[in-house]
Amino acid sequence: MHRSAVVVTTLAVVLGATVAHGQTLSGEYKIGVLEPLTGPLAGEGKRHLEGYEIVRDMINERGGVAGRKLVFAVADAPDPTAAASEANRLITREGVKIITGTFSSRLCGAASEAAARHTVIYWETSCVDPRFNKRGLTTVFRTEIDATGFGWYNVEFIAKHLAPRFNMKANALKIAFLSEDSSYGQGVTESARVRAKQEFGMQEVAAEYYSFTSINDFTPIITRLKQLNPDVVHHIGYTNDAPLFWRQAREQNFLFKALVHAGATGYGSPDFGRALGNDANGVFALLEPGPGFRLESLKPEGQKLEREFREAVQKRTGSYPLGGHQLAGSGLWLLKVVLDRAKSDDLAKFRDAVMSLDLPVGSMINGWGVKFDEHGQNSNARVQHYMLQWQNGQLVTVWPEEFTTNRAKWIPLGAWDARK
Amino acid sequence: MDPARRLGRAQIDVFAQLGVSTVLLGGIYALIAVGLTLIFGIMRVVNFAHGEFLMLGMYTAFWAYSLWSLDPYFVLFISIPLFFGLGVLTYVLVMRGVIHASHNVQIFTTVGLSIALQNVALVVWTGDFRTLRPWHASVVIRVFGTAFNLSQVVAFVIAVALTLALFAFMKWTHTGRVMRATAQDHDAATLMGIDTDRVYRLTFAIGIACVGAAGVLVSPLYAVYPTAGLQFVLLAYVVVVLGGLGDMVGAMLGSLIVAAVEVLGSYVFGVAWKEVFYFVLFIAVLVFRPAGLFGQRGAETLGV
Repeated sequence: MHRSAVVVTTLAVVLGATVAHGQTLSGEYKIGVLEPLTGPLAGEGKRHLEGYEIVRDMINERGGVAGRKLVFAVADAPDPTAAASEANRLITREGVKIITGTFSSRLCGAASEAAARHTVIYWETSCVDPRFNKRGLTTVFRTEIDATGFGWYNVEFIAKHLAPRFNMKANALKIAFLSEDSSYGQGVTESARVRAKQEFGMQEVAAEYYSFTSINDFTPIITRLKQLNPDVVHHIGYTNDAPLFWRQAREQNFLFKALVHAGATGYGSPDFGRALGNDANGVFALLEPGPGFRLESLKPEGQKLEREFREAVQKRTGSYPLGGHQLAGSGLWLLKVVLDRAKSDDLAKFRDAVMSLDLPVGSMINGWGVKFDEHGQNSNARVQHYMLQWQNGQLVTVWPEEFTTNRAKWIPLGAWDARK
Repeated sequence: MDPARRLGRAQIDVFAQLGVSTVLLGGIYALIAVGLTLIFGIMRVVNFAHGEFLMLGMYTAFWAYSLWSLDPYFVLFISIPLFFGLGVLTYVLVMRGVIHASHNVQIFTTVGLSIALQNVALVVWTGDFRTLRPWHASVVIRVFGTAFNLSQVVAFVIAVALTLALFAFMKWTHTGRVMRATAQDHDAATLMGIDTDRVYRLTFAIGIACVGAAGVLVSPLYAVYPTAGLQFVLLAYVVVVLGGLGDMVGAMLGSLIVAAVEVLGSYVFGVAWKEVFYFVLFIAVLVFRPAGLFGQRGAETLGV
């Protein structure tokens, strides 16, 4: 659509909505938004900012936050040093009492540390570093689960969905863990290993870490894994190594029953599908909901919200919401819910409002629910995550089945050339 | 067939596969290292921007393939003169000014060039990971229980051919002799009427043409992104030190040794150990045989 047409349409929608709701907003309320907008993380950072802007407009069409119009002071945080100094600037120059952000686990630690020194609330929507809210800070809150939550969900899927479809008991499954060695890969993998072993008694046949910045050949590791003959490969990969592993596994005719990944990099990135086309068929990646997600599976208020959110994203970007939109959007909407309830950004009142929220799965954007613990972390069981699968060039939602119209295919994965 | 014999056969297949992987990975390392060892050996300049020229070679192949559907093997013929020209340009604009400066200045200059090129790529082409899939990248060859990729075999064959060609060039042509003379004693070469500036320019251009070609050849095998060069460049230094500065055949053998350490180490002890192994080897060579495994003692100080 032509840009001016978009502006006109947006304006019309905004005005229409304001008139329809019959609300007048008294004054503005400013929060800080911190994202990497330049540098290597900029692509995802910009997508997050877009998600925030879309939901900010939705919020303002629906009465703002506690009756005031929500506005942003946006800052660019390409690296941890900039994240900390820009957080300081937002607080001292822009006078914000709440900062939200930041796509990357490299940034959220430094930025929230700086905010905490000013007793400013840090509302994290995306970073998954498990250390984020294990530092005894009362000012940090995270709406998304952390990396250990991803491991929790992956094992849930393997034990409760894959094992029965293999006609196997979970404790008979042989599982091989392979992961890149950043805090993200280790966080997911270690929590998955513990849960797989302790709760389900799965048989771990290998646990291998590698550096994604220097891995050039997976054939030695594939040769070894072939001898160990795992049923499931749990691989947390980055965006250059995941296609390499998958291509070489095919070349070496390494057969296993399923490969499970978590997160928006590696197998969860659109780059993976572009790199491999239909050869990508069958791979699972734990993510936010994608195509096939059933609105009817949500609570009535969640349905309305999710529908309006998707329409707003569609209108602005012309596509289904991407992970960055979903994380930022869902987190910002939840911030509105908290502020409406607290009617204040005073830390004690804000914290009380956060802790008192108790919403079931299906209440929010992405079908998420809300229940925070005392560390400011939303709970694994409420922040519903979804398993997506590559099916003929598209990453579609396949699990939990009540949330989707698509069904997982190729279970167990057959021969490499039979996954059509 | 009885189980013991099956096991034996399986073990043979495993070692055959590891052997094939070593040779093919070694070929890729040699392809990248051969230009570096040339520049290192003749000019005594450590080119820290080597990996970025590799990255530029990869992008050349990617864009030629996605915009005009040109096969990388065709692009190879275009890339060699293109990168030769880029090498000349880089030498004239950047390297000439620091060629007689101290090693520290040269290191700062090439590191600066490396970071500048990475960021240019980031701004112009974004940080996306791109892949090209010409037909030969998905052709798998299976021989006696081993499997490998056609693009890798081609890369290996060209690596060997390139190494031998450079070796022959250095050894038997007049220009090659002039280049070696300049490396051995810069001042004496000047006194004999050799235009050393021209020699350096030519050396740098050939080195960059080699690594540009390497980038084109590895592009079907690895993701293309602004920092793709970093994936290989540290290894290339290890290879060059192992093989001896400026030693083409040494670089080839060094590549095979590094690849063997990587492949066997990853298989036996786990991938996490691979860098420990080859950097221990790197340090050991520097301490005990500073001229490289195949070099003559004392050769490391030539021309410095």
